[in-house]
Amino acid sequence: MKKLLVILGLLLVAFSFASSVIVVGTTDKIRTLDPANCYDYFSSNILQNVLAGPVDYEVGTANIKPWLFEKWDVSSDGLVYTFYIRKDAYFEDGTQIDANIFKFSFDRVMRLNGDPAFLLSDVVEKTEVVDKFTFKVHLKSKFSAFVSILGYTVAFPVNPKVTPEDRFSDIAPSASGPYRISEWIRDVRIVLEENPKYFGPKPKTKKIIIQFYENSQQLRLALETGEIDIAYRHLDPRDILDLQNVSGIKVYLGASPQIRYLVLNVKQKPFDNPLVRQAVALSVDRSAIVKDIFVDLAKPLYSMIPAGMWSHEDVFPKRDLQAAKEILKIAGYSEKNPLVIDLWYTPSHYGTTEADVAQVLKSSLEETGMIRVNIKYAEWSTYVEYFLNGTMGLFLLGWYPDYLDPDDYLWPFLSVSGAKSLGSFYENQIVEDLMVAGRAATNQESREMIYKLVQNYHAAEMPYIPLWQGSADCEAHDYIKGIILEPTQIFRYYLLERK
Amino acid sequence: MSLKSYIITRVILAIPMIFILLVMIFFILRIIPGDPVLAILGGKAPLEVIEAKRHELGLDKPVIVQFFDYIGNVFRGDLGVSTLTNRPVWDEIKDRFPATLELTIFSFIIALLIGLFYGAEAAWRKDKSLDISARVYSILLYAIPVFWLGLMLQLLFGVYLRWFPVGGRLSPRVSLDIKTGLLILDSVLNWNWEAFSDVLKHLLLPGLTLGLVISSIFLRMVRNNTVLMLSKDFVKAAKARGLKSRVILYGHAVKNAFVPIFTIMGMQFALLLAGAVLTETTFSWPGIGSYLVLKIKYRDFPAIQGTIVFFAMFVVVISIVIDIVNALVDPRVRY
Repeated sequence: MKKLLVILGLLLVAFSFASSVIVVGTTDKIRTLDPANCYDYFSSNILQNVLAGPVDYEVGTANIKPWLFEKWDVSSDGLVYTFYIRKDAYFEDGTQIDANIFKFSFDRVMRLNGDPAFLLSDVVEKTEVVDKFTFKVHLKSKFSAFVSILGYTVAFPVNPKVTPEDRFSDIAPSASGPYRISEWIRDVRIVLEENPKYFGPKPKTKKIIIQFYENSQQLRLALETGEIDIAYRHLDPRDILDLQNVSGIKVYLGASPQIRYLVLNVKQKPFDNPLVRQAVALSVDRSAIVKDIFVDLAKPLYSMIPAGMWSHEDVFPKRDLQAAKEILKIAGYSEKNPLVIDLWYTPSHYGTTEADVAQVLKSSLEETGMIRVNIKYAEWSTYVEYFLNGTMGLFLLGWYPDYLDPDDYLWPFLSVSGAKSLGSFYENQIVEDLMVAGRAATNQESREMIYKLVQNYHAAEMPYIPLWQGSADCEAHDYIKGIILEPTQIFRYYLLERK
Repeated sequence: MSLKSYIITRVILAIPMIFILLVMIFFILRIIPGDPVLAILGGKAPLEVIEAKRHELGLDKPVIVQFFDYIGNVFRGDLGVSTLTNRPVWDEIKDRFPATLELTIFSFIIALLIGLFYGAEAAWRKDKSLDISARVYSILLYAIPVFWLGLMLQLLFGVYLRWFPVGGRLSPRVSLDIKTGLLILDSVLNWNWEAFSDVLKHLLLPGLTLGLVISSIFLRMVRNNTVLMLSKDFVKAAKARGLKSRVILYGHAVKNAFVPIFTIMGMQFALLLAGAVLTETTFSWPGIGSYLVLKIKYRDFPAIQGTIVFFAMFVVVISIVIDIVNALVDPRVRY
């Protein structure tokens, strides 16, 4: 009898432990949990669950909604934003979040000039405390996407009592969101526990353990053996496909704002010739990449603005080898005198599929019979150096947005400064003026019209060739509920539960 | 020369050695392509931000100025701040080193046990099948790349049989109050047997991988030295006295064969740390080896330099300790 009671007791303990804890595995890493210096996906992901931000997105959509800012006004000239802060928001130590805390946090971001600071410092002239719960931001120039930036962790307030004013913090932040961090062993695991001081709805699961793995094979195995309940970032496409047929495991797929594209350095021969750029654009086989390499877990893309985002328009031509050949002939190339080009990729920065992508691109270009491609590669830090100094003429890159607005898919690529830092060295004053006008316009219809025009300019001049739009994925045991892959890429741990 | 003055000389000589190593690492890192700021920010941030970051890290200064700044800091005991995480490099090494040390000690024990017993028995049965198998074993294991062996063990015991985990040091659901960073020790100190068994399970495959590879070197040395000792007069005398074969082998031959082996073993222990780089990467072991690989990927100059200096100092300390122990163990040793 005694033994039976002990066993029942143990089972009860095991059951209660199981129902209150969910383990998530990932191959990502956390660099820093200081919002002033956080500029990588997974660090932001943790902060989005541990801190409350000025604004949030409605779950499952890209629509902005108030969070710490209850409401806001914009001055008639579009330069002054007045934010009204809710009065029931506290950090985990009981410090109330007010306008002074916002001023401290915004000013600190701009003063420390960390990795994401330019998102604020490029547009913010100064900040001002109007009263305890009213905070004012003066912009340098009109910027209609400003509130979208506030959805990124760079604008999330930090607790001045535990955050150093003059340097970055290297410890876990004081929580103001649904969870607080109870344990953090770098690159090993981070444990999130319910934050009793959070003003919003309670998390569905009190404790989330996030375990870090070195590679996708180990992550997959951990999921299959039950070591983890959820695998979130990054399994290989083939593993995802396999797991779709494993009983007890559910694969979630969602839209992703991540885009992948080819950069053509318009200052380097032969890509300074618009005809060459057009021929390349007409030859690339997006369907082969998407089908053969990403097993249909991605979508072909025909604009830099991802499909599904307002103002997106398919402006790039579909594959047409005959047209590509005609253009190459006009440019002076033939089967006997082929266009010889180098195509560069970087082997590990974008996962394990990049070499295959380069190979498919090479085959598709060479199918014209008039292009010969040499594949070259370099490790990421070298790769960046090469594209900044203009060494590479044709190369693969990718983009995750900082804020969800078409502006973040056009300005960083087509503005003169942006094009330099992405290696295309494209310059077009008309396009730049149009984008400035797009930033200043407050009406979405006018912005949409402007951005469509910019996309058409881009498709005519082709300093970049959009290739595919990624998809977000997550794999979990079927007893886990509450997984939502959002277009904003926010992964909300507080919605996860065991059923 | 007395042992004391020998050690002092060794320590003094170690300083220029580490200095030369530092100079080489510093300049090699700056000659090869790749920039820490670009590795972190490239492709996203505007050029002005990249420039500002480079200025903040002092990477826009002339290389020679950067070098003297760095050397000055190292002599003050400051290994700098990681460009990737903004944390002091020394803190990061302190966080990671216990994992490597634990793996190294575990592997060393495995290597020692196999090397000692298999080597001694092979010497006793010279040219018999056991000896031949030992020689084949040592050649084979020495030739096998450590990461390949690791992958095979992962595949067999982790993927197919599912007996052992294939990565990490502790299961996510097992909690352990970490004090020393050596998890076996911590689980004993906490009287946490669930954690103890879990840590041991995690340690087994990487420990075996590294241990088996190193055991091949130990085995050859123990065997060869023991064969030599078995032909000596004192062993013949022991045999003539009618002592048991185990006593002759372990009490006389192996014991005397062990002095030169001990020196090599000490150096192997230091080299084991370096061998841990590949093992740690294969098994997601959060030690200093996988730390170094990650930092190289991001061209985190201070972290790479700091880790290598740390390794070098560790090797120097180990070799000095071995010399001391050697002198104490073997009365014939004079410096």
